[in-house]
Amino acid sequence: MLYREAGQFKTNYVADQAIFPIRQDRIGMAIVLLFAWVIIPAFGTDYFLEIIMINFLFFSLAAIGLNILTGYTGLISLGTGGFMAVGAVASYKLAVIFPDLNIILVFLLSGLIAAAVGIVFGLPSLRIKGFYLAVATLAAQFFLDWLFLRFDWFTNSSTAIEGVPKTLFGFLVTGPDASPFAKYYVALGFVTVFALIAKNLVRSAIGRAWMAIRDMDIAAEIIGIRPLPTKLLAFAISAFYSGVAGSLMLFLFYDSAEPDLFDINLSFKVLFMVIIGGLGSILGSFMGAAFIVMIPILLTLAPDLLGLPISSDLAKHLEFMIFGALIIFFLIVEPNGLARLWQITKEKLRLWPFPY
Amino acid sequence: MTAATLERSAPPAQSEAPTPNARRNFSEELLKVEDISLSFGGVKALTNISFDIRKHEIRAIIGPNGAGKSSMLNVINGFYHPQVGTITYKGQARSQMRPHEAAKTGIARTFQNIALFKGMSTLDNIMTGRLLKMRRNFLWQALYWGPALKEELEHREKVEAIIDFLEIQAIRKTPVGRLPYGLQKRVELGRALAMDPELLLLDEPMAGMNVEEKEDMCRFILDVNDEFGTTIALIEHDMGVVMDISDRVVVLDYGRLLADGTPDEVRANQQVIDAYLGVSHD
Ligand SMILES: Nc1ncnc2c1ncn2[C@@H]1O[C@H](COP(=O)(O)OP(=O)(O)O)[C@@H](O)[C@H]1O
Ligand SMILES: [Mg+2]
Repeated sequence: MLYREAGQFKTNYVADQAIFPIRQDRIGMAIVLLFAWVIIPAFGTDYFLEIIMINFLFFSLAAIGLNILTGYTGLISLGTGGFMAVGAVASYKLAVIFPDLNIILVFLLSGLIAAAVGIVFGLPSLRIKGFYLAVATLAAQFFLDWLFLRFDWFTNSSTAIEGVPKTLFGFLVTGPDASPFAKYYVALGFVTVFALIAKNLVRSAIGRAWMAIRDMDIAAEIIGIRPLPTKLLAFAISAFYSGVAGSLMLFLFYDSAEPDLFDINLSFKVLFMVIIGGLGSILGSFMGAAFIVMIPILLTLAPDLLGLPISSDLAKHLEFMIFGALIIFFLIVEPNGLARLWQITKEKLRLWPFPY
Repeated sequence: MTAATLERSAPPAQSEAPTPNARRNFSEELLKVEDISLSFGGVKALTNISFDIRKHEIRAIIGPNGAGKSSMLNVINGFYHPQVGTITYKGQARSQMRPHEAAKTGIARTFQNIALFKGMSTLDNIMTGRLLKMRRNFLWQALYWGPALKEELEHREKVEAIIDFLEIQAIRKTPVGRLPYGLQKRVELGRALAMDPELLLLDEPMAGMNVEEKEDMCRFILDVNDEFGTTIALIEHDMGVVMDISDRVVVLDYGRLLADGTPDEVRANQQVIDAYLGVSHD
């Protein structure tokens, strides 16, 4: 179907303020939701649901969180892995200490704890920016890594933290024995709700304040934006998203994880998603997550399908090379990432077949 | 000098019939700076500057490059803190304040070098001017529903009125980074207007514009002053424009106050002619 906005006049601002003002976008969104909520769980294999979809979903949430901080507010963070660790550890501790606590509350409270930690590590952002802030968040990452390894109170004296089995509406939804089907729906529920919330935030006053700080902090202050609370709120919300993503990662994907799973490599992985997907785009966060989750899987599957078996070492090397090349490409050529390329395609389609 | 096409309607002193609204006789002081001195290390940007800005007037600040004009505006909106001097705003001595606090007291400004939010659309840029007036917290905004949506729409309506006023409907959704210079200046004025300011500081709003764009900008400034009664302090190099639209003029030179008076008085001042007018006639 053609993508057009010609002929669609906004009769009032209400229509123009709608989340997807253009009809084709609304239809597209409805189709995506239909696939996510009905078709994929109905036809997807366990492997597809777990290794691809759940993996993609919790990374999407983490990428949205980092995008709020880096893409929308312009504050570079290398601490995402640390905030995810806080979420994962917090949900493990909460689930163990309060066995009757609803699993949804466990995840949300873990997010809040991560948000509090995010605020603390966001404090330097009032004084420093750019490279120095990146280093400060890196310090946060290393500090949190160290904390969880050093004090085994966090892991209940074990080497690993675990996804505690929990039920929701009578179904087992977490732990090693829960079905991928049930886990998928929990992940999807969280991602649907929090993606919507993120979209709402970035198109509201707070989102404009974030972008104002990002684009020109001096001018932002002159129109009355208080820099510190605005930046700290970005840190808090970003860390909340990372924290919940960390909880989902542990409870719905790994079931058991050593804290060093959430190391600096994880931070970089999420940062790559945001750069490749598109800084300052919620849609881009999904695209980046899908891309980075799929590449390694394709690299393991495709050669076999093509009859060109390659060693897993080579596949790993190829993965790094492809990521590296893409990061450089997007940083230099298209800082707004896949989301921008998609938008350009839409703009072309809109005018097609008459480019004038 | 630019051919002056805009005439100030009835200067206050000569108007026979009393103006419909009595605000053309500016008696009430809005802002007073006294003995302001500001230096950066060894550089004295401002030395012992005193003048006032009265409610509803258009006050021009002129002077050669480096005279300290922008620094003066920066002092007024809390961006620079003078080492010496007092500022009285709305009858109250003002303590040192940050720019965002000055914004809250009704001071808005534009910059000599455009300071727009480059990644955002025209509409969003102007919407940021309404931020201080928006009351719903981020939890409401997360829902984008009920009171939050209502508030968003109310402010959108105000902003649309500004967009109509500045005749920039066609670029509503365009990222401002892609706009030509003249239009960017206009959007920046729009953002300042969205704050419903009592005192509007404009730093060279017409610099780098062609004659037509300048005329448009003059018209907007006069209309804002006329229709909303906004007090305006304006830095401008084009003497034709200054003489046409301002009620009173302050002249700075090397950080010192050289003259202060009506355009006619300033134009006749020999020191001013020597220091500034003489060289600007090129
Ligand atoms: N932030 C600053 N740091 C150092 N010197 C400054 C700063 N701002 C202004 N100055 C100096 O103050 C003087 C006045 O500058 P400015 O107010 O920009 O003049 P104008 O706007 O009249 O051209 C200049 O000598 C300038 O170099
Ligand atoms: Mg200047």
